[in-house]
Amino acid sequence: MTDFLQILLVGIGDGAVYAMLGLGLVVIYRSTGLLNFAQGEMAMFSTFIVWTMWSLGLPMWLAILGGMAGGFCVGALVHQVAVRPVGDPHEKPLAVVIVTIGLFLGVNGAAQLIWGTLDRSMPPLFGRGQVTVFGVAVAWQKIGAVIVLGVMVLLFYLLFQHTKLGLAMRAVASNSESASLVGIPVPRLLMLGWGLAAAVGTVAGVFIAPNLGLGTNLMQLTLIFGFAAITLGGFDSLVGAVVGGFVVGALSSVMPRYITIFEKMPLAPAFILILAVLLFRPEGLFGKKQVTRV
Amino acid sequence: MSTSVTAGASAHRSPRDWALKVAPWVVLFVILAIVPFQFPSFRVEQICFWMTLAIAACGLNLLTGYNGQISVGHGALFGIGAYTTGILITEFGVPLFGATVASAVVCFAAGILIGLPALRIKGLYLALVTLAVATLFPLFLEQFSAITGGSGGLQITSPQLYRGEMRERPIRLESPIAGLENDQWKYFVFLGITVVIFILSRNLIKSRVGRSLVAVRDNEVAAESSGIPVSQVKIVTFGLSAAIAGIGGSLFALDQGQLYPSSFTIVLSIYILVAVVVGGAASIIGPAIGAVFYGLFSDVIIQQMPDRIQPARAVILGVLLILLMLLAPGGVVGGFRTLQAKWSARRSSAHNPSPDPIS
Repeated sequence: MTDFLQILLVGIGDGAVYAMLGLGLVVIYRSTGLLNFAQGEMAMFSTFIVWTMWSLGLPMWLAILGGMAGGFCVGALVHQVAVRPVGDPHEKPLAVVIVTIGLFLGVNGAAQLIWGTLDRSMPPLFGRGQVTVFGVAVAWQKIGAVIVLGVMVLLFYLLFQHTKLGLAMRAVASNSESASLVGIPVPRLLMLGWGLAAAVGTVAGVFIAPNLGLGTNLMQLTLIFGFAAITLGGFDSLVGAVVGGFVVGALSSVMPRYITIFEKMPLAPAFILILAVLLFRPEGLFGKKQVTRV
Repeated sequence: MSTSVTAGASAHRSPRDWALKVAPWVVLFVILAIVPFQFPSFRVEQICFWMTLAIAACGLNLLTGYNGQISVGHGALFGIGAYTTGILITEFGVPLFGATVASAVVCFAAGILIGLPALRIKGLYLALVTLAVATLFPLFLEQFSAITGGSGGLQITSPQLYRGEMRERPIRLESPIAGLENDQWKYFVFLGITVVIFILSRNLIKSRVGRSLVAVRDNEVAAESSGIPVSQVKIVTFGLSAAIAGIGGSLFALDQGQLYPSSFTIVLSIYILVAVVVGGAASIIGPAIGAVFYGLFSDVIIQQMPDRIQPARAVILGVLLILLMLLAPGGVVGGFRTLQAKWSARRSSAHNPSPDPIS
């Protein structure tokens, strides 16, 4: 039992990170209607920015802020030069997929050019200590991840529900044509959404890097976990991303431990989840049902 | 636009036009025939790899280009073909090209298996599922390392006569023709298979079935109401596409003689997609052009650059993909067709000026 709880808690800690990446994916899906396959690579890139600032001697929190700012710029730029010009993702899915795949390659290659192919090490944000409750040891790093996720969700809630900017962003998400007719600068808000998503991804990267080692393939598995989270939660639901993140984290930690066939592929339960949800409940737990007119 | 071009061509059909049409193919085949004698062995080996990539891209093109189902996971099907071949030869002593046929069958089944959920999962979401398949595949190989050899690799061996006794030795494609080196023999065998596959897919696309593939891509509801069995078409296309990718993978296995999970990551899937998009989706010869482009770029051009600059390969390919989507979604073939249409429009309007502009 203790063993199970131990593994479950590790999974929930990981799940918080998947949820962070998922939040970024949801923000992009809601505003531009596309699945950003380059989200993980963008997060990896800005995590390298954090690492660079930190290794130049900046305090960690300042480096993270710097990385988020850098990530924001990368995200906004990517939207302006590559994503916006291709057009509507639901009319031309192939073109949009190929653009995000191109970004995936390009950002990954750029990181290799700048930082090389060696893995860097980054210290855990909340130290290596752990706390023991009822015989179950939990790393501060995992608790920290859940707390940071909580803060992020709170900030997103405040932004979307209690600011004019957030209201405008929601208007763009629900009907961009009407939004632009009432004078909302739609392209600028979409750019802002991409920037925000990339900035949030930075934080996910900072939490994962100490575990996996900071290399250019840091986020390739994590991205699929993030997608599993938002598939389960519903592609357009922020709450869904959080709930989905925890469920995916827990499943991917517990199942490989008890089911030997998943031992070396913790990704398999997440994959099965993606497939099952898309087949039987494409809108996920909290998402809006999509209706297509003929 | 394209119909008017063909109509114009058939109206002016003359021996000269016919010669113009056939000449490029004759030139191409002459070039293909002398290549293995002009280049050193390692280049011929590389070109063999380009051909396996071209075959996989041809398979992906049927699915994505003609049928409109997006797959970012064909690297995994290529891998299934490669590992099936490796395991059949090493464990069961199946003859080399017998294993290729078996791999095509196995991949056809795998394609059907992925194609079934693809009936309900479309567009971006199908891309997501196939991306997940591509990411999962190397882990899958590690998980079943008892059969696949895991990260230690799979050495493909077959019993061969060696110093008077039968021993398990690494596979080789031996040239039965005196005067033809082993790698040149391999080149011609691979070339033969590649050409046959491209001709078969051309015939498929030009047939009734091929037109139904395109109809399903363009408008599923309209296709359904004109009597096309949409689900069947989509599933069988997935299977065929996978089988072709599997043949590419199988030849890759025969070419390399050893297989590692690290060869079959998401990056391979992306490069197959690059070959299709660069050459021109929904054109027969496009994937081959794309594969040659990719090969020239990554095996010849990039190799001239210093080691530190090597990752620029990914950056350049990534930027190229994005630029192509923005500027020339039809790839090389699409761009060529546009030019051709403009040229023939100008020529025919010089003969008999027509009031309606074609492009």
